[in-house]
This record gives sequence, C-alpha cells and structure tokens, in this order.
Amino acid sequence: MPREEYQVPTATGASASAISRGATGGERHDSRAVMTYICGDCGGNVTLSKDALVAMVQFEAR
Amino acid sequence: MAPSRHSAPSAEEQLRRNTVGINKETVSNVSSTDFPGHFPGEDHAFSIDHFKSAFSVQFHRNEPNDASFSLVGIDASLANAFRRILIAEIPTLAIEDVYIENNTSVIQDEVLAHRLGLIPFNGGREGIHNFLKWYKKPEAGEDPYANSFDWNTVRLELNVTCTVNPDASPTETDPLKAYNHAHVYAKDIVFVPTGRQVEYFSGENAIAPVNPDILIAKLRPKQSINLAMHMHKGIGADHSKFSPVATASYRLLPLINITRPIIGADAEKFQRCFPEGVIGLEKISREEASTPGSGYEGHAGELKAVVKDTMKDTVSREALRHPEFEGKVKLGRRRDHFIFSIESTGQWDSDELFLEAVKHLKLKCKKLEQQVINMVQ
Repeated sequence: MPREEYQVPTATGASASAISRGATGGERHDSRAVMTYICGDCGGNVTLSKDALVAMVQFEAR
Repeated sequence: MAPSRHSAPSAEEQLRRNTVGINKETVSNVSSTDFPGHFPGEDHAFSIDHFKSAFSVQFHRNEPNDASFSLVGIDASLANAFRRILIAEIPTLAIEDVYIENNTSVIQDEVLAHRLGLIPFNGGREGIHNFLKWYKKPEAGEDPYANSFDWNTVRLELNVTCTVNPDASPTETDPLKAYNHAHVYAKDIVFVPTGRQVEYFSGENAIAPVNPDILIAKLRPKQSINLAMHMHKGIGADHSKFSPVATASYRLLPLINITRPIIGADAEKFQRCFPEGVIGLEKISREEASTPGSGYEGHAGELKAVVKDTMKDTVSREALRHPEFEGKVKLGRRRDHFIFSIESTGQWDSDELFLEAVKHLKLKCKKLEQQVINMVQ
C-alpha cells in the first residue's frame, strides 16, 4: 500500500479545501452556544441550547 | 580468662566499626554489625534506653520548602524506612479527573490532563490534612459521582480564551503583547468551593497552585480551553503527582582523617582536592614544631592542612589520586550519621513531613505487632 494513496480524512475535494478544517478554524466559541439540528421525525428544526450540549470528555490526570 | 558477657569494645574499635571505608577504588566495611551474636561475648540486644541515650537530631536548615537535619545513632534500615515513607506514603491532594468541555489549543486533551495533574497545590492545612478524606472510586455501573462529597473532592475550573489585543501595534511580534491570554498559567485555575469547604478554604486558605507561574499551554486568538477538574487525596506509591516531596534523600556524614602532617605547598594542594570550606590551613606553632615526633619539626610558621567541616565534603576521592598524599589521609563515612535533605512541594512543611513519616512508621509497627499477637493466640 503506497503512502501516496493516503487521503487526508477531512479533505473532501480540491474545491472544498479552502473551507477551514478543524475546530481551531473559523468556528467561534460563541457560535457553539446554540446548535440547530433537523428533526428526523417531523423535519422541523430542533434547537439545543448550550446546557444540553455539555458534552464533556473525562480524562484521568495521570 | 573468657571475656565477660557484656564487655564493651574500646572507643577506637567502636570508631572503626562505625566507619564505612572510602578507598581509592573500593568501599569497605559496608554492613552494620551492631546486632546480637555478631561479636562473641558482646551484647548488642536492642534496648530503648540505649537507643535514647545514643540518638540525637540536629537541624542544619529549616525552611518550609527545604529542610536539612542529621539523625545520629540510628540504623540504615530505619533511616531508609523514613525516606521511603516520605516519598511514597504521605497523602497529598492533586488533580485526578479532568472534564474537558472544550479544548481547541494545540495541546491534546490527554496531555493537557496529565500536565494539570502534576501541578502542586496548596491550601488551608487544617482542611487538607484533617477535613479532606480518602475518595473511593465508584464501581463500574455505579453513578460516577456517587462517592463525590465536599470532604473528598475539590472542584477547580479553567476557562481561558485567547483574543487579539486591540491596543497592540499591528507589527507586534511578541505573542504575549499582541494577544490576551497567549499563555495559560497555573494561576488561571479557579477554585470552586462546595459545601463545607468554604469554612476551611477561604481567603488566603483557598486551594491555589504553589507556583502560580507554571505554564500549562500556549494559545493563539480564538483558541480556548474550558474544563473542570476534580482533586482527590492520594499517595506517591500510586502516582508521583501525590508525592509530598520534590526530594527526600540522605547521605552519610563524610569523615576525613589526616594521619600524617600535610605541610606547605602540599597542604594548599590538599585543600584544593576538596570543596570550599572542608579543609582549612593553619600556621604551625612553635610549640608543635618543637615537639619531637609530631612531624612538624623545623616547620614553624609554615601552613598545615586541618579538617574544618566535613559536612561540606562530597567525597570525590580526589585526594586519593595524588601520590604525595598516600598514607597521609583516610576517607570514610560515619555509618550511623544520616544527613537528611527534604524538599517539600508545598502542601506540608518539610520538617512537619518528617514527623508525619515517624507517625506512619509507628502505625505500621502497631499493625505488625497486632498481627504477631494474633499469630500466637
């Protein structure tokens, strides 16, 4: 398996490469306060405020 | 006539037994021999009265973060037990769990958590030593916070976002001036008291890093770190972040015995073989010069080498390498003189740590005693 075949997982195409990748890119912390999803049942928008968003990752400090 | 049961060795013999020999390429007489049955006709059974009369403690330096003292008249097994208890068995409070809500810095979550764990913290002593107790990790399937209470968990938070400093010149190249919060320091960690912790950890007793300027991470504009931490009590045997000491070590008192006079230029060279302050130079008095057999005959007014302070010696053995000193000097270490050096990381005072180690050893002995009693019953 040659190394050259490896594709960067986040790169979707040449045109999309201009879009910033990763959390450090354009995303601002403020914009995470409210997130909108499309509801699978009714097709309407579901808004989650930050409280419901708290997706903490736990690490042991060792 | 057979020697009496309790004959005592001469002072000279006692000194020989108490000295570890430091030779040019070897170390001799390394094991202690003061136990029953080693010397025929001598009684070396342990007696608390004998130990009390022979034992002494002298402090050389006593600062909260750095203490040095001598224990004289104690066996290596006990001195080493104290050292090991200091390093691994005295509990301290350290960050154990890190709950990362957002970390957009270049430092990975797990590395960040590890770094946070190693930061030494301080706080009200009464609260840390007596109010806070052991934390028991919940079993698998149990509520993860079922065992978290104010008396075993301390909550800390770290919320930092880096922004561009609008007041900085556009050509500014120093990140610390061009951005706000380019560096995240230990002082940015905020203590959040819960329950009765307010009684023990308020004002100057608040839980805070011992060294506020420890660098945790570096940020660039729009990067941020938002996390919460739980501190628990633990011991150094589990993880070195819980060790209350930066160093806890001992060395044996060096001995330098000048057996034949070292005079004149040799004396100056001899002085240079040791660290500063170990060897002094003194003028040979007329009295000494006129004493036949002293080795100073006819050298009145010249300099001779004398031992000033062996405590400062590092036992480099440099003096043994030069032929002019051959047979004139004997190096050694005193087997029962332990010079301890304890550097606390801040949660205890260094001298207090040693007393705590003594308490721990006492407790261990009591447990062992009970087990021996149970065994014979």
